[in-house]
Amino acid sequence: MELVGRILLVEDDPNDTELTMTALEEYHLSNEVVVAADGAEALDYLYHRGKFQERRNGNPAVMLLDLKLPKVDGLEVLKQIKSDDNLRMIPVVVLTSSREERDMVASYKLGVNAYVVKPVDFHEFVNAIKELGVFWAIINEAPPGSIKKT
Amino acid sequence: MPTAKPSSPNVPAAIRRYGLAILSVAIAVGIAIILGHNHFRNVADPLFLFSIAISVWYEGLGPGVLAVVLSGLADSYFFIEPVYSIYVTRDDVPHFIIFILFASLLTGFAAVRRRAERDLLQSRDKLEQEVAIRTQQASLLDLTHDTIFVRDMNHVITYWNHGAQELYGWTPEQAIGKRSQQLLRTVYPAPVEQIQAELLRTGGWEGEIEKAKADGTPVVVASRWSLQRDGRENPIAILETNNDITERKRGEEEVRQLNLKLEMRTTELEAINKELEAFAYSISHDLRAPLRHIVGYAELLQKNASSILDEKSHRYMMTILESAKRMGALIDDLLAFSRIGRAEARQATVSLEQLVREVRSELGQETDQRQITWKVGPLPDLHGDRSMLKLALVNLISNAIKFTRPRPQPEIEIGCAEERKDGVVVFIRDNGVGFDMKYVNKLFGVFQRLHRTEEFEGTGIGLATVQRIIHRHGGQVWAEGFVDRGATFFFSVPHHGR
Repeated sequence: MELVGRILLVEDDPNDTELTMTALEEYHLSNEVVVAADGAEALDYLYHRGKFQERRNGNPAVMLLDLKLPKVDGLEVLKQIKSDDNLRMIPVVVLTSSREERDMVASYKLGVNAYVVKPVDFHEFVNAIKELGVFWAIINEAPPGSIKKT
Repeated sequence: MPTAKPSSPNVPAAIRRYGLAILSVAIAVGIAIILGHNHFRNVADPLFLFSIAISVWYEGLGPGVLAVVLSGLADSYFFIEPVYSIYVTRDDVPHFIIFILFASLLTGFAAVRRRAERDLLQSRDKLEQEVAIRTQQASLLDLTHDTIFVRDMNHVITYWNHGAQELYGWTPEQAIGKRSQQLLRTVYPAPVEQIQAELLRTGGWEGEIEKAKADGTPVVVASRWSLQRDGRENPIAILETNNDITERKRGEEEVRQLNLKLEMRTTELEAINKELEAFAYSISHDLRAPLRHIVGYAELLQKNASSILDEKSHRYMMTILESAKRMGALIDDLLAFSRIGRAEARQATVSLEQLVREVRSELGQETDQRQITWKVGPLPDLHGDRSMLKLALVNLISNAIKFTRPRPQPEIEIGCAEERKDGVVVFIRDNGVGFDMKYVNKLFGVFQRLHRTEEFEGTGIGLATVQRIIHRHGGQVWAEGFVDRGATFFFSVPHHGR
């Protein structure tokens, strides 16, 4: 299967991944999602390394990034993206359980485009994810160099 | 002593002094002439020498010289041929010269001796005077309670005052003649050679020294040394004054120990605080995720299986969902509560009136359908952290709204109970379900609830949060209430919060 990947979801928890995909399904966006299970995989995808060596060219239209990740954590991934000329234009939305102010401040300082706290309530969660997906993958004009809509 | 001899005040001293010389020579001439008439020969010279000796002895060199001159003249005039002329024949010149030389020698010796004797007497007087002064000083030094002692350059004690006896317990008899370092078991703060060098260079030294009393009790003294030098600048003695500062040192040591303990406690508390922060952080992160999954999957299950679930299973599903949501609310409230303790309080002047307006409009949704009578009195400005104070008000006002729910005519009153120089007291009163005063102590505890969840929802953290916020502002919270007759909550905020 070709990895289309207009939405890069960086999420280590399979349950969260599944719930997120369920939410995106309602707008038929789930088949546009590529999942990276940790920070290292996310960077592999962006740099065409490892199992993403053969992927189609272009950057994702949006990246949904969890902060607490194995190997390379979310803030580190964010830092690398925002300091790379080819990647810094990718819109990054931090999607996290953390309501801690220091995480929020650190993310904004590194240039994050949005910061969303995952709601405990499932309806709210689904709504938040749907709106994010619709906004960034459909409404928002992705920066040049992004993978085009199919 | 001649100069000290009493003299009649109307006769000038010079006339008296030189008069004696003239008189004694005249008497010698008279006696010699009388004896000459009685055929005594060669008595003039001894008589003249005698008169010279008397003049020199009693009146000093000047009258002595005058007596020599007068004797010479009188001798040549009256007793050396040709008589009654001061002319001296060649044969008598040696005799005359020998007389003059002998007379001069006598005068000189007598004058020297006289001076030596006078000096001796003078220095004796001086010494006596000094001894008198010293004795007086020493007895004065004995009057003071300050410890003063003197030692020579070999550190042998030469003086020991009453204050020294009081402090160290050694009598002057026991102390004088002993080496001070051995007697007092002195422990110097620096090598003694170094102290000695400074003393010799600057003439003084000051420092804290440990010594021991006669009974062995250790003392710490503030010690002051002064070097005494003789006329030729040679150091001869060291005067040392001591003040007992043992108590002060003990006090200082206690303060130091307490400070050390305090520092340790602070470090411990900081570590505990950090741990708590890490704990709160992991709750925030790790506890919410599984909760979200419970809710998420339960809802998905409910949606997908709604057709095959019976009513009982539906109720189970609802319970799972409600419990999970309630736990989510608990976690959120608990985190907010812990954040109050950790967050930096930003000090500002806050208009309570405006704050109450904001809170009321934010809680409006809940109250719109109900006919609540609001009585908001004039409210003062507070000094504190705006967002924290707002959170406290949200909790207090939403409580009032919540617990008046069963009332057909709910009433909520907010006002200033007391406005003092040092702060204000604000109250929030409702005519709701109230509470039993016997549980008033439980009211502000974390997770403490006086009502069942079915009656009134809530996590039991609201009032604990209020208390924490008000305590952080240096104020107090308290409550009054009766079952079914409403509750009043008071809080005080000092003008200059902590």
